[in-house]
Amino acid sequence: MTTVDDVTHPARTGPATRVAAPRPRWRRHAGSVVKYAVLALGAALMILPFADMFVGALRGPADVYANPPRYLPSDPQWGVYARVFRELPMTTWFANSVIVTCIITACQVATSTMAGYALAKYRFAGASPLFRLVVGAQMFPFFLFIIPIFFILRFAPLMGGNDIAGQGGAGLLGTYAALCLPFVVTWYGVFLMRQFFLGIPDDLLEAARLDGASEYRIFRSIMLPLVKPAIATLTLFSFVYHWNEFIWTMTVTRAAPDLQTLPVGIYLLSGAFQTLDQKSLQQAALAVSILPVIVVFLMLQRLFVASNFASGVK
Amino acid sequence: MRSRDFDPGGGGAAPWVFVSPLIAFALIFFVVPLGFSVYLSFTRWNPLGTPSWVGLKQFEYLLTRDDAFWRSVGNTFVFAFGFVALGVPLSLGLAFVFSRSRGKAVWRSIYYLPQLTNIVAIAYLWQFVLDDRYGIINRALGLTGLRGPDWLTDPVMAMVSVVLVMIWYDAGKNMLVFSAALEAVDSEIYDAATLDGAGAWRTLRSVTLPMIRPAFIFVTITSFITGMGFFALILAMTGGGPRGATEVTALYTYTMAFEDLRMGRASAGALILFVIIGVLSLLQFRALRERERRT
Amino acid sequence: MFNQTTAPLAIAAMLGAAIPAHADDAPLTVAMHYTQEQAAPLIACLEDYDVDGIGAEYRQITYGDYLQTVLTGRLAGQAPDIYNVYSIWAAQMVDNGVLDPVPDDLAGFVRDGYSTGTVDAATIDGTLWGVPTEVSVYMLVSNMALLREAGFDAPPTTWDGLREVAQAVATRNAQGRTETAGFAFGQSSSGAGLVHPFYALLYSEGGKVYSDDRSEALFDSPEALAALEREAGLVRDGIADLSVDAYDFPAGGIGMIVMANWLESEIRAGFGDRFDEDVAVSQIPMGDDWRTLQYAFFMGVDSGSDRKDAAWALVEHLNTPRDGGLSCMGEMLGQLGALTASTADNAAGEAPDAFTAPFVAALEDGRAISQPNVMQASEIEGLMAQAFERAMAGEASSEAALEDLDREVEDILFEFY
Repeated sequence: MTTVDDVTHPARTGPATRVAAPRPRWRRHAGSVVKYAVLALGAALMILPFADMFVGALRGPADVYANPPRYLPSDPQWGVYARVFRELPMTTWFANSVIVTCIITACQVATSTMAGYALAKYRFAGASPLFRLVVGAQMFPFFLFIIPIFFILRFAPLMGGNDIAGQGGAGLLGTYAALCLPFVVTWYGVFLMRQFFLGIPDDLLEAARLDGASEYRIFRSIMLPLVKPAIATLTLFSFVYHWNEFIWTMTVTRAAPDLQTLPVGIYLLSGAFQTLDQKSLQQAALAVSILPVIVVFLMLQRLFVASNFASGVK
Repeated sequence: MRSRDFDPGGGGAAPWVFVSPLIAFALIFFVVPLGFSVYLSFTRWNPLGTPSWVGLKQFEYLLTRDDAFWRSVGNTFVFAFGFVALGVPLSLGLAFVFSRSRGKAVWRSIYYLPQLTNIVAIAYLWQFVLDDRYGIINRALGLTGLRGPDWLTDPVMAMVSVVLVMIWYDAGKNMLVFSAALEAVDSEIYDAATLDGAGAWRTLRSVTLPMIRPAFIFVTITSFITGMGFFALILAMTGGGPRGATEVTALYTYTMAFEDLRMGRASAGALILFVIIGVLSLLQFRALRERERRT
Repeated sequence: MFNQTTAPLAIAAMLGAAIPAHADDAPLTVAMHYTQEQAAPLIACLEDYDVDGIGAEYRQITYGDYLQTVLTGRLAGQAPDIYNVYSIWAAQMVDNGVLDPVPDDLAGFVRDGYSTGTVDAATIDGTLWGVPTEVSVYMLVSNMALLREAGFDAPPTTWDGLREVAQAVATRNAQGRTETAGFAFGQSSSGAGLVHPFYALLYSEGGKVYSDDRSEALFDSPEALAALEREAGLVRDGIADLSVDAYDFPAGGIGMIVMANWLESEIRAGFGDRFDEDVAVSQIPMGDDWRTLQYAFFMGVDSGSDRKDAAWALVEHLNTPRDGGLSCMGEMLGQLGALTASTADNAAGEAPDAFTAPFVAALEDGRAISQPNVMQASEIEGLMAQAFERAMAGEASSEAALEDLDREVEDILFEFY
C-alpha cells in the first residue's frame, strides 16, 4: 500500500541557516477549506443513520401506509418512546444491560490492574510466560471460543443442578454468571495496565518497601492512585464494549428473556418488527439502546485523550 | 506486617496472588476451551445427545464436499480484504486532516459515535438507510434522477454494503489511533525537513509515513484479524444473504452450531478458519516488518 | 478504590446469582411466536389462571428463531412448560425428545374436536403430540382498487391471467424502480415468502415434495420444475421484483400477493375504510384444479417440565370453549383474523367475514394440503428459499437450481430416514 524509499534522516542535515518562507496565505486558506470540507462530509455520513433513525421513529400509521410511504413524519408521534417502554420489556433489558456491564467492567478493572502490576513490577517465574500468553491470546478470535465456552458453562460441576460430573442440570447457563464469567479478564486490559505500570519508577516501590509497607498495601495505596487515568480509560473501553456486546449474550440468553440485554432483546424481536406499523417502534427502541452510551461517553470525554490510543501500539 | 530483607525484584507470594485470577481465567476460558474445541472437531455431536468420534470426517466433509464452506471462505476474504484495503487508507487520510484541525473534541465525538453504538443498532439503522425503494439514500438519488443500487438485495451490492458499513463503524477508531501516532511525531523533525528543502510530498513519504509505521502495522493487522472473524454485523444486517452472498465463515460455523446443532462440524470449521487467519496474519506481519528493516 | 478482595467478591456475588431460584410455585410458561399485542386475549387468560396457587405467564419467541431457541433453551435449562409448535418443527422436536406425548384423556378431546388435517399435523409416527391451535391457508389476495384502475373487475383465476393483470398494474418510475408492483413475494427471513406459494403451485400441479417414506426428495420432478418456472418466470420477465416485499401490501402499492389469512389485521390497518371494497381474496390462480397449502400449529408440553400434568391441564383449559363461547385460544385467533382448528370454536365464533370465508372454504373443500413434517424441515426450507431465489435472479436455470436442491435435501434425509 505505502512504499517507503530512503529516509532522509533529519539528524544528518546541518544546522539551519535560513528560515523557510511561509506558504502564501491563499494556499493555506484553500487548504483549510478542503480540510474542513472533508471532515464535515465525513461527519455528515457519521450522523446520517442516526438522524434517519430519529426521524423514522416519529412516523405514524398515516405515513407508513401512504403509497408511496412518506419520509418525513406528517404528524410526529412523540408517544412512541412511551410505547417502547409499554409494549416491549425495555426495563428488563435496560436493567440487565446495566447489571452485566457494571459487573464485567468492575471485574476487568480489578483483574487487569492486579495482573498488569504484577507483570510490570515483579521479577517472578511466571512473569515472562504469562506476558507472552497475554500478548498471544489477543490474537485468538472470539468465534473460536463460543462453542466450547457455551458447553463449559453448561457442564460446570455442581452448578445449577449439575452433579460433580457436570450432568443433570443446566450448569451456569441461564444465570448472570454465564453472561459475565467469560469476560472477567481481558487480555488487552492486562496489557494496557502493564504498559502504564512500567512507566512508574521502581524507586517508589523500593522506598515504600524500606518503610515496611506490605506488598498489597503498596499496590492499593501507592500504585493504584498513580494509574487512575489508565483505570479511567479501561473503564470506558470496557463499559462501551460490554454495553454493546451482542453475539455471546445472544447465544446464552436466546431462551432466557429475563437475562436479555438491550441489543439482544431488540435483535431477537426483529421478527415482530416486520410489519410496517412496527418499524417506528423498532427505531425508537434502537434510539433508547444507543443513548446511554453516548451520554456516558460525553461525560467522560475529557479522559479520552489521544495518547490513550497510542498505548495499544507497540 | 512481615519484616524481611529487601528483595529488588520479587515480592514473595504477592505477584502470584495478583496474577491468580489471570491464571484461573486462562485455564478455564482459554486452554480448556481450545482443547475442547479440537476434541469436538473430531466428533459428530448434536448436543441433546452424546458426541460420537468420527476422526477426520468433519474436516474431510468441509474441505472436499461442502461448497457452501468454500464460498464462505471466499466471502470472508472479500470482506476482510475490502475492509482493510479501503478502511485503513481512509482512516489514515482522515487522521491527516483531523490532526491539523481545530475543534478536535467535536470531530472526535462525531467520528467516534459508531464505536459507541451496538452492532444490532448499526445493522438496523443501515437497513433503513439502504432500503432499496424507501431508504434515504435511494430516495435522494431518485430526486436527482439516478437509480440507486439494490444495496441489500443484490448479492454483489450486499457485500459492498456490509464492507462499507464495517468501514463506517471502524473508521473513527482507527483515525484516532493514526492521529495519536501523527501527533507523536516531533514537530522539530518537520521543521528540519522543511529547512532541508523537502516538499510536502517528500516530507510525507520520507518522514511521516516511516514514523507512524508501527501504528500502520498495528491497525492493518488488527483490522485484518477483526475482518476475518467478525460476523455480528452481517448476522444482523443480511443474515448472510441474499443467497449466501455475505455468508462469511465465522457466521456459517455459528449458524451450523446454534441453528442446525452440528457442534462437531462447526468446531472443525472454526478451527480451519482460525488456522487460515493465523497463517495470514503471520505472513502479513513478516512482510510489513521486513520492509521496515530494509528502510 | 479496588483492592485485591474486589475480584473474588465480585465473582462470589455472581456465583450467588448463579443458583437459580427454583420455586415450585413459579408460573407455568407458555412460549408462542405471537407478539404481546397479538396475544393480548390469551395473556389475559393466563393472568387469570390460578390452580392450586400455580399461575401462568407468556413468553414471546420470534417465529424465525423459535426452533433454535427451543433447542438451545433446553440445553440451558430454560425451556418453557408449554410450546406452540409449527408442524414442520415437530419431527425434530420429537426426535430430540423435547415433547411429551398427549395424555390419553386429552387425546380423545383432540380426535373428536379437530379437523383431520390439523390432527395429522400434530401427529408423528402415529403418536399425537399436542392440541392443534392455529391453521393457516394461502390464497391470492388482491388490491381491487389497483386492479380496477388497470381495467380488471375480478382477480385472475389462471397463471397466465395473473401475469397479464400484474403487468397491467405495475408502474415504474423514471429510474426504472418499481412504484406500484403487480405481484410481490414475501421477503421473510425464514424464506416462507417464496417457499409457501411454491407449495401451493406444486400441489396445484399435482406434485409433492417427498416420497411417502421420506427417503427421497422430489425436487427433480416435472411438477416441481413447472411450479418453480411459474414463480421464477415472474421475476425473470420483470413482472415481479424481489426488492418489493409482500409485507408492504397494506400500504397499497402492490396489486396481488399469495399470502396466508393471518395478514388480515395488518391489511385492515392499512386500508382502513376501504378494506371491504378494495381487498379481494380468491383462489390460487391455477385453473379449476387449484390446490393450496395449509399449515398448522399445535400446543405441546415440554417432556422435561417437572409439572407436566399441570401443564396439560392448562393446555386443555386454554383450548376448551368457555360457557358455550370461544376458548381463550379461539378468542385470540379470532381477533388476529387467524383460523382456528377447533370445531367448537368455529361453531361458537361469528361467521367468517368476506376476507376469511374463502380461506375457510379452501380448508372445508379439501383443497388445502398439509405441509409435510420431515426432519430438519426448517433447514430444508432455508435451502429451498435459496435455490428458488437463485433461479429467480437468473443465477441458475430452474432445472439446475432444483437439481442442486434435490441433492442437498437428499443428503439431509439420508441422515435420518
